[in-house]
Amino acid sequence: MKMKKLALMATTFAAVALALAGCGKSNDSATEKDDGKLMKVTVYDDLANYQGTAKGWFAKMVKDKFNIEMNIVAPNVAGGGSTLFDTRSAAGNLGDIVITGSNDGRAKKLVKAGLISDMTPYMKGMKYLKQYSGATDAFQKVAGVKSGIYGIPASVSSSSPTSSSEGTEPTFGPYIRWDLYKEVGYPEIKTLDDLIPILKEMQTKARAENNDQKIYALSLFKDWDGNMMNNAKQPTTFYGYDELGFVLAKADGSDYQSITQTNGQYVKALRFFNKAKQAGLVDPESSTQNYDTMYSKYTDGKALFSFWPWLGQAAYNTTANKEAGKGFMLAPVQDMKIFSYGNTTNGSSTFIGIGSKAKNKQRLVKFINWLYSPEGVSAAGAQTGGTSGPEGLTWKMDGKQPVLTDFGKKVFLEGGAKVPAKWGTGNYKDGVSQLNYPAVMPNDINPETKYSYSYTLWPSVLKDTKTKLDTDWSSHMDNATTTMDYLKKEKKILVAPGASYVTPEEDSEISSLRGQIKTQIVNTSWKMTMASSDSEFDSLLKKMQSTVDGLGYKKVLKVDMKNAKDQNKARVAIKKEYANKK
Amino acid sequence: MQEALNDTQELKDLQKQKKKMQNRRGKRLFYLIIPFIILVLLFSYYPLFGWVYAFFDYQPPIPLSQSEFVGWKWFAMLIQNKTQMHQIVQVLANTFAMSFLNILTSFLPVLFAIGLNEIRNKHWKNIIQTLTTLPNFISWVLVYSIAFAMFSSSGMVNTLLQNWHWIAEPIKWLDSDSHTWLKMLLWNLWKGLGWGSIMYLAAIAGIDPELYEAGRVDGANRLQLIRHITIPALMPTYFVMLMLAISNFLSNGMDQFFVFQNAFNLTHIQVLDLYVYNVGMGNNSLSLATALSMLKSIVSVVLLYVVNFVSKKTRGESII
Repeated sequence: MKMKKLALMATTFAAVALALAGCGKSNDSATEKDDGKLMKVTVYDDLANYQGTAKGWFAKMVKDKFNIEMNIVAPNVAGGGSTLFDTRSAAGNLGDIVITGSNDGRAKKLVKAGLISDMTPYMKGMKYLKQYSGATDAFQKVAGVKSGIYGIPASVSSSSPTSSSEGTEPTFGPYIRWDLYKEVGYPEIKTLDDLIPILKEMQTKARAENNDQKIYALSLFKDWDGNMMNNAKQPTTFYGYDELGFVLAKADGSDYQSITQTNGQYVKALRFFNKAKQAGLVDPESSTQNYDTMYSKYTDGKALFSFWPWLGQAAYNTTANKEAGKGFMLAPVQDMKIFSYGNTTNGSSTFIGIGSKAKNKQRLVKFINWLYSPEGVSAAGAQTGGTSGPEGLTWKMDGKQPVLTDFGKKVFLEGGAKVPAKWGTGNYKDGVSQLNYPAVMPNDINPETKYSYSYTLWPSVLKDTKTKLDTDWSSHMDNATTTMDYLKKEKKILVAPGASYVTPEEDSEISSLRGQIKTQIVNTSWKMTMASSDSEFDSLLKKMQSTVDGLGYKKVLKVDMKNAKDQNKARVAIKKEYANKK
Repeated sequence: MQEALNDTQELKDLQKQKKKMQNRRGKRLFYLIIPFIILVLLFSYYPLFGWVYAFFDYQPPIPLSQSEFVGWKWFAMLIQNKTQMHQIVQVLANTFAMSFLNILTSFLPVLFAIGLNEIRNKHWKNIIQTLTTLPNFISWVLVYSIAFAMFSSSGMVNTLLQNWHWIAEPIKWLDSDSHTWLKMLLWNLWKGLGWGSIMYLAAIAGIDPELYEAGRVDGANRLQLIRHITIPALMPTYFVMLMLAISNFLSNGMDQFFVFQNAFNLTHIQVLDLYVYNVGMGNNSLSLATALSMLKSIVSVVLLYVVNFVSKKTRGESII
């Protein structure tokens, strides 16, 4: 009897245990031999804006070279913040290849939890990766290990950290529809606020010309809101600030502001938005639309102001529009001093690594090595980075310098084309690397061509791209050849030395507070933007300040302030380090 | 003497045997319910193990075994200051208000069922019933896309009103905080009314037709028939449904509020379940969210005792 009972108990427990064990299976296959067969690789990619099996010419290139098919897992597409990262990492397998940020001690956590593996045993013969040993050494400190290569930072560079990492256009800048600005008579813009009446005039003109009441000067979106409303941070960059947590830090380390400060840059930016809203310049769909919807409005010419060249220009400045004199160009705001990222010698805070549960790790390391090779950098790059694409398809060597092929011109300057059958199927633009991973800075010099990876800086291209729009703009901007040229001449740019600063792991109490506070800040910022009067704006601001203070804002701000100052120390240090190297 | 002794011995043996039989049968019956006990343990008690996360500093990639034990830290954080308390009170107020509004409108399906029953045309009745039941099968995500297509600032309604020149600026139906509770109630009613009335239609079908005949013979008109026969006959069903609704008081669903939430209405739309989700998944504070969700169980137990007390006082019956 007793035996029976025991047996029953045992089976019951076994059944329960089995049922639970089914939830998490573990397989250790590190030592398996690579059979060279087609391999499906799951790439967890914080940068990707595409989810699913990679398709197009780049995917074909990877498949032909490595017999690898990439399945991209993209939190950007899935949404929900870090939910995907949390659930996948809690399940014990983030992906075969991991591309993520190392901020907030994330790299350290990944190593501690055994989710990414050391690549040292596979590094034999990986000459391109070895070239960046400075960056991988620096990453050891970030990952909290004494030895081993757990990740390779992105955007590594061999250029000076104090020179701007951007090509012909900065990352940020007040871009306006130049054709309309011309029509209203190139009025003077002393400061950003002067733009409001000008934009109003431009909007009226545009509406009348196109007979479309749905043209708005400003169209905003909420997808990238983090510690603050992302859009409201952008005007602060025109004055040399960038965010770090709840702090806006000036590129040269001369000023640190809390974003809730009443007369701070962030609140100023919100007030700018609200003034624009009260003048009827803000698209009422701003708070509900996503990036894609907004992007298509730019393409259709329904928005007249852009925070970034890679939004306004990318969407609207087609060759046809530019020939007609239409397009987004930098506005000559007199008091601006635009924030610019210096070259990151040791890479940015994003890195690429290999998941500990991955199979055929040698092959994966070879693939990553290729991503850092001249061929890989040219072909991959980031989607908006402007790298030149694969040689033979979009460009070729003409004597000593690279030039775009006819196909390349169609793709880069005329809005796209279908790739030839040899290279795969579909549009070139749809087929670019969906990894969206900039291994090396696109401005760096390609050792094989002696010109930059980015085609936008090639003399042959600069000569080719002079259109009616460019000449008109140039004639009003002291004959500058490019935006960067103008900004440098006028000293309207402030370069933050490219230090690979990574914020340390945050105390979880601070994270919890931050989570609640940022919800308040982001939501109130949107309400403030859409406020119907100045008094409503002010009362919302007061309410936000008192709420976040009540939630413990000071505690979090103290941490961010310290980080911002540490970041500046790192910037000073890298400047010295590079000077010493020379 | 000997015989009597033998007898008692036999009797004892017999009793023993009988007891053994009973025991065996009892055990056999017990084995029968074992699967259900396992299910209950697995799905109702085993998840409670998750509460331990509230006492640790859990950060996802690092397993619980390596996380730091922090005791009551997260609970202390919930009540550490006024603003924090205020937020929780607001969340509870939202939860209670929306549940309460739902209970307050729980008589509507009854009226709807009665009205539907009075329609004489069979085709009409079927069409109406199908059309009103259908929304129940649409997920909230789809309901929101319908809402967005119709009521967003460039949606159908706003475009129509603007084209007719009734309004100049689009009306913000979705992204404003006016009457959030009421709007949510209306969506909920639109989705659940037809489905909710099915139970009552069945109950109406079960009413003895002789009662109606008798009523008619006595000269009652249609309204009087409803008032004196249909409604009293529906009351038992109604009260059962009401009890069920009250037991679900705190779990008033989070998917509806999740899809409808935005920067503008968050203050009044955040119910307890949604708040837990936003804190845990949105803000990445899983331990804090666990502590918060325990609050729900505590409130539920308190509610249960309150209802039980009321029931005891008014009906003389208690549930527990």
